[in-house]
Amino acid sequence: MKRGLWIFLAFLFIAKLVISGALAFSADRDGKSMEMKRLFPLKIGSYQSDGKDEFYDRQTTFRYMDGAAELYRSYGFKLLLVRRYIKTGHPPIVVETFDMGSSEEAFGVFSYETGDEEVGLGQGSDFGGGLLRFWKGKFFVNVYAEQETPSTNQDVLNLGRSLAESIKSEGKKPKLINLLPKEELIERSIRYFHHHQSLNYHYFISHQNILRLGEHTNALLSTYASQMEGKTFFLLIQYPSQTSAKEGLQNFVKAYMPESSSSKVTQTENGRWTAAQSYKSYVMVVLDAPSREKAEVLLQSTQKNL
Amino acid sequence: MKRNRVITRRDFIRGTVYTTLAASLGVGLSNQSEVRADEKVKVVLVRDEKVLDQQGRIHADILQKMLDQGVSSLMGEANPFQAWKKLIKPTDIVGIKSNVWNPLPTPKELEAAIEKRILEVGVLKKNISIDDRGVRDNKVFLSSTALINVRPLRTHHWSGIGGCIKNYVMFTPTPWLHHPDACASLASVWSKPLVKGKTRLNILSLIQTQFYGRGAHFFDRRYVSDYRGLLIGKDPVALDAIGARLLQLQRVTHLGEDRPLDTTPNHIFAADEKYKLGVSDLQKIEVVKLGWMDGALI
Repeated sequence: MKRGLWIFLAFLFIAKLVISGALAFSADRDGKSMEMKRLFPLKIGSYQSDGKDEFYDRQTTFRYMDGAAELYRSYGFKLLLVRRYIKTGHPPIVVETFDMGSSEEAFGVFSYETGDEEVGLGQGSDFGGGLLRFWKGKFFVNVYAEQETPSTNQDVLNLGRSLAESIKSEGKKPKLINLLPKEELIERSIRYFHHHQSLNYHYFISHQNILRLGEHTNALLSTYASQMEGKTFFLLIQYPSQTSAKEGLQNFVKAYMPESSSSKVTQTENGRWTAAQSYKSYVMVVLDAPSREKAEVLLQSTQKNL
Repeated sequence: MKRNRVITRRDFIRGTVYTTLAASLGVGLSNQSEVRADEKVKVVLVRDEKVLDQQGRIHADILQKMLDQGVSSLMGEANPFQAWKKLIKPTDIVGIKSNVWNPLPTPKELEAAIEKRILEVGVLKKNISIDDRGVRDNKVFLSSTALINVRPLRTHHWSGIGGCIKNYVMFTPTPWLHHPDACASLASVWSKPLVKGKTRLNILSLIQTQFYGRGAHFFDRRYVSDYRGLLIGKDPVALDAIGARLLQLQRVTHLGEDRPLDTTPNHIFAADEKYKLGVSDLQKIEVVKLGWMDGALI
């Protein structure tokens, strides 16, 4: 009987924890929802919100954007607000605002695609194919018209400009960027991410996670280019500890450049050079360098900054 | 190929990995032994330049004709009625698994063309349903004896391509659980009781294909091609392997450069090697081509 009472009390205690946890989560979400609702004006120029704001969190966002949600989930995505701005005789303009939790994560998801034109909005923007993407502070924003007409591109840009100005706080880019050597670096090629799927999207390494990337690793892939020598890719990864960095490097070398032995430099089958090195809690990998010397210089220059 | 071996970029540069992945990555197909024609899986590519008008609208009658030609050829029959009779019995309960993804859904005209032929075979209207996201609550699908799988071909952010294999992910309550490793486990859905052994025909709509993804929903109108085709077969893996190759060739053609190393559709490879759902080796797939073939690429 006594045992039964204890089990019942334990059940009550656990239930209380679960309920209070859920309530806290709900309150946090409600707080963020209100913050995002107030972030942008309901009327911008001659466009007016349709009043049907939709919110999606990490669990529910698949309902809105299918598998594309994985991109945002691979960063620190917290909450998505979808708002449509309407104007008589014009197609609605959709504004998707992602609270990414931090400016580093907002920059990260923005850096995933920067193949179009920088239009000077927010802290970084990309406009092409009718889609405007920009980031500012902890927010990443997509703006596009549901259908394209001759006027929608300008309307999207005008709306985007007002939205960007409505976000008052700016944020910092990931500190890792400051560690990159600047010579021949293509700034707009910098990609910031955490998971190996993202790395593979930009530069395929392996289907398996041979660098042991994950939510606890911060990684940059950048491109260095010279007219004479072509593109060299540089991967800089920050691990949670020196031990995990060493393990990541060892695993990479074993799978990707087993013949390199202790030097960790090798010429790959396309005639280019790959070199890898760990230092403190960082791993550096140079890919497709035109020469062994070039690869080693890039590693050494970075190490000086660490 | 050894089991559990780590495949890296260097394997693709050497050209030593399996054909589908190599093809999806744009590497030449070397060292492949000849495969006899009678050992190959048959898929049919049908194209008609006039299936789309100048405004991009579909001519339903031309699409019906394309479907009929393709299914007849696949089944080795002179007319579509005989061909469909080989696929579907009048007593069947038929679910037509479509795709409603807003930017590029399965064309309604194609759904209607399929339904028309199934009705002609003698299946009662009440025993046919067309659905996508509601299949797990759809009475016809829940009691189905036959499935027709039809969807457009497109690139997909996480799985490389959205094709026949991936179209069944809605038969699970938790699609996102298949997202790890570029959705490598997608083919496992095909062994679920609701699905297993029921699929009679797979159709990839190539009327419009999305060959490159970008942006909020991984959709950008600049990277949609009016290919004006259908790819029809019984083997979903073979259709997806050909589809992946087509998308890659379209990327190369349109972008003027090879972007071969985007998310690789290794779920196609896994569907063959691990789940034994079908054939992914392009050398073992015969593509029968019917109709207009300008710019067919494959």
